[in-house]
Amino acid sequence: MRKFKKGIVYLLFAIPVITQLYPLLWLLLYSLKTNEEILDGSFFSFPKKFQWHNYYEAYTSGSYLKYLSNSVFVTALTMICVILLASMAAYAISRFRWKYGNVVMTIFLMGMMIPMQATLLPLMIIFKNMHILNTHWSLILPYIAFSTPIAVFILSGFMRAIPHEIEESAFIDGASVYRIFRSIILPVSVPPVMTVCILTFINIWNEYILAATFISSERLKTLPFGVYTFVSQYSVNYGNIGAFLVMGALPVILIYFFLSNQITKGMVAGAVKG
Amino acid sequence: MKVLKVPARTIAVFILPCLLLYVCLVFVPILVSLYTGLLKWDGLTSSQFIGFGNFKDMFLNDPVFWPSVRRTLLYAVASMLEIPLCLGMAILLNRYLRRANTLVSVYFTPVILSVVIIGQLWKTIYNPTSMGGMLNGVLVSLGLDSWTHNWLTEPNIAMYSLYLVSLWQYFGYHLLIQYTGVQNIPDELYEAAKIDGADGFKADRYITLPLIVPIFKISIILAFIGSLQAFDLVMVMTGGGPAHATDVISTHMYNSSFMSFKYGYGSAIATFLVVVCLVFTGIINTVFNRLERKYN
Repeated sequence: MRKFKKGIVYLLFAIPVITQLYPLLWLLLYSLKTNEEILDGSFFSFPKKFQWHNYYEAYTSGSYLKYLSNSVFVTALTMICVILLASMAAYAISRFRWKYGNVVMTIFLMGMMIPMQATLLPLMIIFKNMHILNTHWSLILPYIAFSTPIAVFILSGFMRAIPHEIEESAFIDGASVYRIFRSIILPVSVPPVMTVCILTFINIWNEYILAATFISSERLKTLPFGVYTFVSQYSVNYGNIGAFLVMGALPVILIYFFLSNQITKGMVAGAVKG
Repeated sequence: MKVLKVPARTIAVFILPCLLLYVCLVFVPILVSLYTGLLKWDGLTSSQFIGFGNFKDMFLNDPVFWPSVRRTLLYAVASMLEIPLCLGMAILLNRYLRRANTLVSVYFTPVILSVVIIGQLWKTIYNPTSMGGMLNGVLVSLGLDSWTHNWLTEPNIAMYSLYLVSLWQYFGYHLLIQYTGVQNIPDELYEAAKIDGADGFKADRYITLPLIVPIFKISIILAFIGSLQAFDLVMVMTGGGPAHATDVISTHMYNSSFMSFKYGYGSAIATFLVVVCLVFTGIINTVFNRLERKYN
């Protein structure tokens, strides 16, 4: 009876493995099939012969590398700015003695409840007037802004707990606030900085709507938007579409494969502290 | 205790870059949209101030608006219903497996993918049999031919197909959060309960549930806010169609602004969306704070 119960429970654990992973595996098989094999509609079949040329065609007919490098650029710059700006703000909020620290924190917290889409239209108008629509800045700036609240929150929570003695002695030794921030606070704050990096990376790397609204030049598109364009343009050759989707998913899947523990931990920390 | 008493200029150097950028790009747009919501404006020609005309139109005359609100709320309810399931699963994982982290990471995989990939993947899964759709293929091979549908183009079904994709994608996310919460409950509590004769479901009822309330709240809020913002998935998969059958508040806003060029009207919907977000977050917070107080 007990064994039976255990069996049921293990079966229960196995079902989500199938439902969560099989669609991804299916996509991989799909990307290696001919159109005929795809259209016959069987939900589980291996291609007779792996059609690697689907990948070759997807690669040569789309601008995969361009999209990829745009995504890397936009995401990396956003992450650097978020970490720099948010850790400075978090430092001021958590360690300085001043009247408005809590007010500023509340302002940041309020932002977490504001849906990004609600700012699409006004941002577009603002960016149009600033003449930065259809540049990477029109993405990077709002990406930074929308990533800061959670970053400030996580970082200031951590910094509050750093013992004051370290700072005091450095201060007595004549180190400036800037120096303390750079050589003491930042180095010890590596764990929360990693969490912020992960959260920002996942959110920004995958962001689609702002990119699709603010960017119109082919050469500026980020990966998600690029994948979308490719799929809607080449809607006849299913294998190529599958291949491009797999290529689009690949960077983040690879990173997840190597860093899954850090990523899941980071995402939980982001959720729980938010 | 904050030790550092620093001149105002230093504080400004640390806080202003971040704060200014943030206020200018998050709060100012909301204020702009509050204002443009009072205009009749197509974005190009001159605008005309019409007071609350857009809101009146929205509440009284727009046949798409209320159904889209209903679908948004249903979206939220559907995603929240998933969470108790995840909690149950998390409790079982914690009880039957010593280290379920790898398994949970597997469940989590869809969460890290872009909505574009997820959307396109599910579009191909939902395709009609003639186009090699997987779901219909499964149904046919089970002999359930009559259950096959055009999952995304039949107006009665399309919205449910979208709910399903969201539930699928975020299952791992909520499971992970709940699992972490369950793991963090100290084992000693269960051991003590066992001595008192409470284990299994009884222990869950009196130990796990009360202690998991804060984590549960987080999941609920995330699911709720996430559903109000469930936008990109709908945009990628159906764009609100067929014939507005899958429009939610945010896609209705987007289509009004960017497809029909009713900037003023779109802004009014955006304002409504912000208010709904703030109000509901407030309500959920209050309810759960009461619940937490009741249990502790």
